[in-house]
Amino acid sequence: MDTLAISGLRIEASGMPLVRGVDAVAGPGRPLTLLGETGSGKSLVLGAATGTLPPRLRVTGRVLLDGTDILAAPPRARRGLWGRRLAMLPQEPWLSLDPTMRALGQVAEVYRLIRGLPATKSEEEARGRLAELGLEGAAGLYPFQMSGGMAQRLALAILRASEAPVLFADEPTKGLDADRRDEAGARLRLEADRGRTVVCVTHDVAIARALRGTVAVMLDGEVVEQGPAEAVLDYPAHEYTRRLLDAEPERWPSLPGRAAPRGEVVVSGDGLHRAFGGRPVLRGVDLSVRRGEVVAITGPSGCGKTTLGDLLLGLLAPDAGTVRRLPGVESWRFGKLYQDPPSAFVPHQTMRQALEDLSKRHGVAWNVVAPLLQRLRLSTTLLDRVPAALSGGELQRFALVRVLMLDPVFLLADEPTSRLDPLTQQEVLLLLSELAGERGMGVLIVTHDLELASKLADRTIHLEAGRFASSDVSVSRGRHPTLAEPFGTLTRGQ
Amino acid sequence: MSGSTLSPGKRTGLVLLAALLGFAVLGPWVVDADPARQVLAHSLAAPGAEYLLGTDHLGRSMLARMAHATRLSLLLAAVTVLSAAVPGTLLGVMAAWRGGWAESGLVLLADAVLALPSLLLVLLLVAFAPGDFLPLYLGLALVGWVEYFRVSRALTRGILAKPHVEAARLLGFGRGYVLRRLILPELLPALSTLATFGLGGAVLAISTLSFVGLGIRPPVAELGSMTTELLPHAYEAPLTVLMPAALVLMAVLGCHLLVGRGAR
Repeated sequence: MDTLAISGLRIEASGMPLVRGVDAVAGPGRPLTLLGETGSGKSLVLGAATGTLPPRLRVTGRVLLDGTDILAAPPRARRGLWGRRLAMLPQEPWLSLDPTMRALGQVAEVYRLIRGLPATKSEEEARGRLAELGLEGAAGLYPFQMSGGMAQRLALAILRASEAPVLFADEPTKGLDADRRDEAGARLRLEADRGRTVVCVTHDVAIARALRGTVAVMLDGEVVEQGPAEAVLDYPAHEYTRRLLDAEPERWPSLPGRAAPRGEVVVSGDGLHRAFGGRPVLRGVDLSVRRGEVVAITGPSGCGKTTLGDLLLGLLAPDAGTVRRLPGVESWRFGKLYQDPPSAFVPHQTMRQALEDLSKRHGVAWNVVAPLLQRLRLSTTLLDRVPAALSGGELQRFALVRVLMLDPVFLLADEPTSRLDPLTQQEVLLLLSELAGERGMGVLIVTHDLELASKLADRTIHLEAGRFASSDVSVSRGRHPTLAEPFGTLTRGQ
Repeated sequence: MSGSTLSPGKRTGLVLLAALLGFAVLGPWVVDADPARQVLAHSLAAPGAEYLLGTDHLGRSMLARMAHATRLSLLLAAVTVLSAAVPGTLLGVMAAWRGGWAESGLVLLADAVLALPSLLLVLLLVAFAPGDFLPLYLGLALVGWVEYFRVSRALTRGILAKPHVEAARLLGFGRGYVLRRLILPELLPALSTLATFGLGGAVLAISTLSFVGLGIRPPVAELGSMTTELLPHAYEAPLTVLMPAALVLMAVLGCHLLVGRGAR
């Protein structure tokens, strides 16, 4: 019962195939994970199954819910399935919750409007669902008063209220901190254990591992490998699956093969304090970064790691303490990489305009740019695109180009890859680490991924509640993969 | 938005405005009649060979009068809109950027203007300022800047908070660059929408004020005052009243259809 079967699914846009022949099955307690990167077509498959694709795409094949083809069903009949047979855990659920409604009301309305219970009974049931997910104290909160993890649990409470047997989850870990990610995976697995049919679309290998069930790895619109999660993830047969698995930070070889940096200090902060609206965020932190050194700051959300970076760059002024930057160096040689690459570019400007304006502003010859593009493996054909037409990884590399054009001495990288696919993350971070050594630039990388920090940085600083908690020096001396062969030289971790 | 994908509504709006503009620009030049010349013997003549659209109660050519009136209305409306939009936008951007007392002061002023009935302001000006055009223009511009101010301030605040502005500053770009390349291009779609609505609104306001005798007064041909003049003859020659009113309707409808529901 309640099986969802996708068979011979093909999606075309004006004759161009985007998804070719996908077959997969999910059942109660037997989740299906579509694993792949941006552009692999996994979201299109989800869109076809949920009926949310734009009409210009031509979909053929079948999506069977208990043997009935819902792909062929008229939109009206499909809408009737929502909340009753099908339910969806959306990407970044805090964006999909009703911002004007308290948590309890959002759960209760499912009982009232979809299941037709009277108001008092609905509230009672809703309280029950919230309590199951540890949200009993949050019934009166609005979504904007909740953390990402809480918002996701609220979304799950709404899904539980609907009792729809088939549950779609779209990138359930996107935008969550590392510790919350594991929680999200465990919760989805719990839904599967409760007898629901879970279909999950993600680029996060950890989620696929946590969900177990069936994994289908997608690449360029095709399923390249499919099977039980244990088999696919532990004994990958396809080359691409192997690369995807190796891109998980815990599988990276240790990077720092450089000599311990002995360069001059490019930026330092002493006894930094900073409060926002009376709430102290940083309470006395000291930090210095040398030329060629990669320093990582880690810590839970709200520990002040981003604030620390912004203080060092001079974007914020400290309430107490001092920031010293290398004297005689222009302010623009202290650069920054942003968490969300598209937002760091002017939306209506092509890359060429952006870089040309920069070269004019600082009198940097255009012939400096071409080798940089090549070094970062960016094709010159990408220059005439606007940010919306580039991928996150390409944009982050363009962001590196524009920083490098100014010969930086220091670069703050604020969660530079948390929104990128694992393979792209690995590529960008390897580049960053190489460039630090090559250019003698100090890099401060803000991340919540401990594994990644320990692999990438010479030194890791843990912050907790605005204070220095501990620090590690990476002692491992692994081989430094070269960029010409960014993945080929990596060996499997197991 | 490319020309070929215009919705039917937008296309209709464009055609209406183009026709009106053509009439305003070419009309007074093609129709070789003096809008002020009275031939009392021909008063309220029906449309015919001699007078294409007939004459009014003083035997003046309706066609000539309407062409001049349309030109006057559109020109005055355009000048009013520009005089409201340019300072309004600049003040809005400045307020968002500077913050502090400058912003509070400007917001207070804008709220004060909004709180005042706009008609009252125009009436005051008409009472004190000399002439026909100046008080009308001043009144409309002084009331009109507020919406450009509010919209551009709100949008600029949003843009300034975005990482790409911080990134540009970190890369060493100055305020002028941020204003020219980052802020103004993003304001443009919203501002052009406002200005198009504003144009229709201004045409309507000018003719309304003239209709009640506060704007442009006879003998100058103006769509509102023409309607007033001819109202007593509405039963004998209904077309003479309807035609100027139809031109106002065309202008307002054209502007609103052109902007449509989608703001861009």
